[in-house]
Amino acid sequence: MRTVTFLPGYRKIDVERGTTILDAAQRAGLNINVVCGGQGKCGKCVVFIQSGRTEFDVQKYGRFFSDQELAKGACLACETFVQGDLHVIIPESTLIQEQKILVDGQDKPIELRPSVKKYYVELQPPSLSDPSPDLSRLLWGIQKSGGPIAEKMYAPLEVLRVIPGILRHSEWKVTGTIALVPGGYRLVDLQENDTSKRVYGAAVDLGSTTIVVYLWDLVTGKMVSIASNYNKQISCGEDILARVNFARKNGLDRLQALAVESINQALTAASNTAGIDREDIYEVVVAGNTVMTHMLLGIDPAYMIAEPYVPVVRRALSVASGRIGIACNPNGGLFLFPAVSDFIGGDIIADILACGMADREEISLLIDIGTNFEVVLGNREWMFACAGAAGPALEGGEVLFGMRANPGAIEKIAIDPVTLDPRYSTINGIRPRGICGSGLIDLLAGLLTACIIDRTGHINTGIDNPRIRKTAHFPEFVIVWARETDIGKDIVITENDIKNLIMSKASIHAACVTLMKQAGVTHKEVSTIYFAGAFGNYLDKKNATTIGLIPEIAIGQIKNIGNGAIAGANIALVNRRARKILDEIAYRIAYIELNAEPSFMDEYTSSTFLPHTDLTLFPMVQEQLESCRVRRG
Amino acid sequence: MVSDAQFGWSGTIGKVTLGATGADGGTRRVSYRIGGGTTLPFLEKDTPSPLIAFEVCDAPRFWSPIVRNYCGDLVNNLAEWTKTADSTYGADLIRLHLNSTRQRDFSDMPAVGKTVETVLAASSLPLIIEGSNEPKIDSEVFQRCGESGQGERLLLGTAEAGHYRSIAAAALAYHHALIAQSPIDVNLAKQLNILLKEIGVPHDQVIIDPYTGALGYGFEYSYSAMERIRFAALKGDTDLAMPIICSAVDSLNIKEVREADPAFQDEIAVSWEFYTGIAAAAAGAEIICVRHPKTIGLLRQAFAGMRTRAAPAGVP
Repeated sequence: MRTVTFLPGYRKIDVERGTTILDAAQRAGLNINVVCGGQGKCGKCVVFIQSGRTEFDVQKYGRFFSDQELAKGACLACETFVQGDLHVIIPESTLIQEQKILVDGQDKPIELRPSVKKYYVELQPPSLSDPSPDLSRLLWGIQKSGGPIAEKMYAPLEVLRVIPGILRHSEWKVTGTIALVPGGYRLVDLQENDTSKRVYGAAVDLGSTTIVVYLWDLVTGKMVSIASNYNKQISCGEDILARVNFARKNGLDRLQALAVESINQALTAASNTAGIDREDIYEVVVAGNTVMTHMLLGIDPAYMIAEPYVPVVRRALSVASGRIGIACNPNGGLFLFPAVSDFIGGDIIADILACGMADREEISLLIDIGTNFEVVLGNREWMFACAGAAGPALEGGEVLFGMRANPGAIEKIAIDPVTLDPRYSTINGIRPRGICGSGLIDLLAGLLTACIIDRTGHINTGIDNPRIRKTAHFPEFVIVWARETDIGKDIVITENDIKNLIMSKASIHAACVTLMKQAGVTHKEVSTIYFAGAFGNYLDKKNATTIGLIPEIAIGQIKNIGNGAIAGANIALVNRRARKILDEIAYRIAYIELNAEPSFMDEYTSSTFLPHTDLTLFPMVQEQLESCRVRRG
Repeated sequence: MVSDAQFGWSGTIGKVTLGATGADGGTRRVSYRIGGGTTLPFLEKDTPSPLIAFEVCDAPRFWSPIVRNYCGDLVNNLAEWTKTADSTYGADLIRLHLNSTRQRDFSDMPAVGKTVETVLAASSLPLIIEGSNEPKIDSEVFQRCGESGQGERLLLGTAEAGHYRSIAAAALAYHHALIAQSPIDVNLAKQLNILLKEIGVPHDQVIIDPYTGALGYGFEYSYSAMERIRFAALKGDTDLAMPIICSAVDSLNIKEVREADPAFQDEIAVSWEFYTGIAAAAAGAEIICVRHPKTIGLLRQAFAGMRTRAAPAGVP
């Protein structure tokens, strides 16, 4: 065994020789940023070996580091193998940090029709003249207090076992909890005395990156607390594919456990904030993407990542929370949103529910940009959906100074068209460390309108400005000079970064256009564009249109629904009737497989232009760019 | 039968002038105004046949051995080679490849200007110049080409999306036309044309090169891209309404030619270049570039045949 000590916290762990530093760190409870899932591709898991013997292929991975960094012992945690006892420094930037997580859902009041209700009853004890059994006595009492008909209620074995004790210990004053489940009414809990005011439910957005929990009082219909958490599965791979591959190699158990643990931590935090007992949470409604949902349920997702991409279930599911390990009342219910396909999951159905597009005559376009993107087009009669990989560029991957929305990320930026000096703001207002997705969109729009880049994203190196420079690899634009940063080096965007960004935006736009063509709809007929997901909430709508990320429609008609997954889950939790239409929405959606759509590549290529090769699709942007060009001469 | 097929299209291919005669301030004996098409190739009533450009170069050791064998010592004397192309081979245009500039660390800039002047003096046909492809020297090479050919209305090549500024600067400064090449894609072709327009190159100074693979080596993609470019232009997309130039430069280097029986190698090479060229013309190219002298005559004959209205087949 070798002892690895992680600095600066002096966390120690004993591991076998040959273990990667990444594994050691994870076992020591340190969450290291592994964008590529530990394949040595992303260069984000940088650590420094202070002392001790390791094995690391500098030839192969040296490109991720400067000479100074290498001199200080820099290496990739995922590709460095422990040989002797080690002291390893983990820089702050390598650890997964608290992210700016989107927690706001929506404010519209939701009709209160919960599926769980409590009934307080004071029963007559049995006697020789009234010898009916405990259960019938209880159920009859519940019926008399306004509950369902006694014969229609069912009590599971776990509850039957506690009934006699609780009834007598409480002197026949008890509160029964009745849940409406797919099989009918179910007595899920029995408590002593009057606890009828304590019925809570949790709505959960199970994202591949973050988990958000809203806790609701299902008696008053009020939201009582919010908590969020990282999805701990991230330590098994940043994107879904990496995690499914992890599951194939190492089994599903760990991923399932991590998902449950992440939800439970958030549930605990929310319960503590609200000052309630987790035992009083009787229902948990989860909206998550298809793979996340499968993993939470412990269903093998391995077959879903290969053609023909078929999920195991398409319907909404209800199970007892206890069977999954969710830390609420063990007999409580767990309701999972239905999925349409591998790539259109419960989170998207929740988005649709939240924005209301399934109820309206007008045509809406819903775009959810996260680790992947999903697009839904339609109205109350028809719907088309597709999904794709936008590439990691919009989340900070494949961009030299790209980063997630962590403190120090430039989130907004504008470029002065004359001096070319940027004005920017960072998350938490600290000195910049990098630039996140919303900042990148602003930057791309700024570079274009200032004529620093042309419509294909090439930097005009003919401009005489110190911020524009040529390097050995690509021309680049200096966003922040080293002295103003928190990282001591110039924060730049290279032509290659820009190319990656354009490819990302092109795939999203091409997906929108492909759906519109499928439905025979032009951009003029799209009444509203909804942005769902964290990314959509922070991005500048005008700049997103300027670069052609989305079809051009009036800026006022572009709306953010914020975290649509949680908003949809909230609705389904508080109003059980909303659940009825979920399966119907899921069946209404025709899923378009972009890979099988011959015109998609064509749409993609025409979208790899700022804003688009067909400028007539972007009249407002065209006008804006013309005036910028005239101004610059 | 050849019909006057219009299909209700509204667009017209823009016209580009190549070569300037004395009347226009140049020294060329002829000037071509190409483009102007309103329907598919060879369906027009009276558009001229595609022009045939013969390609010469200033560093013949990199040139196809088949051409070197056929032309013999001529290739080592650029002036004589050019003259022969004009007088004997019967080309419509000369296309000069400054392939000396493609050598590592090329720096002999004065030679560029001299070579251009040599070729201009050797033949009074309009001239196409294929310059360097290296950002470090592009600017100066094209500047020299543009300057040496001032007033001659040259066609400069080749602008691509990744580098078009230096060639555009030379074309604008000295009023030459330029070749805009994109990798076999209608959208990418259009994008480059928009980029050129936006830095001030008017459409009537641009000729599209869709990139031409040799027959059997991707030509079908080139054909399809050319068709789509032409359809888009005829339907009114002015950003694609330019004449097209095709140069299937790989025709003489493909396996079938390289490994051919020496006795038939020349014949196969010519056939390959000819059939690629005729196909490119059928797809809509206004200029066909060739490297083998014998291809020129064959193409000319074929074009004449394609323009003749076929007599209705007699029914016995």
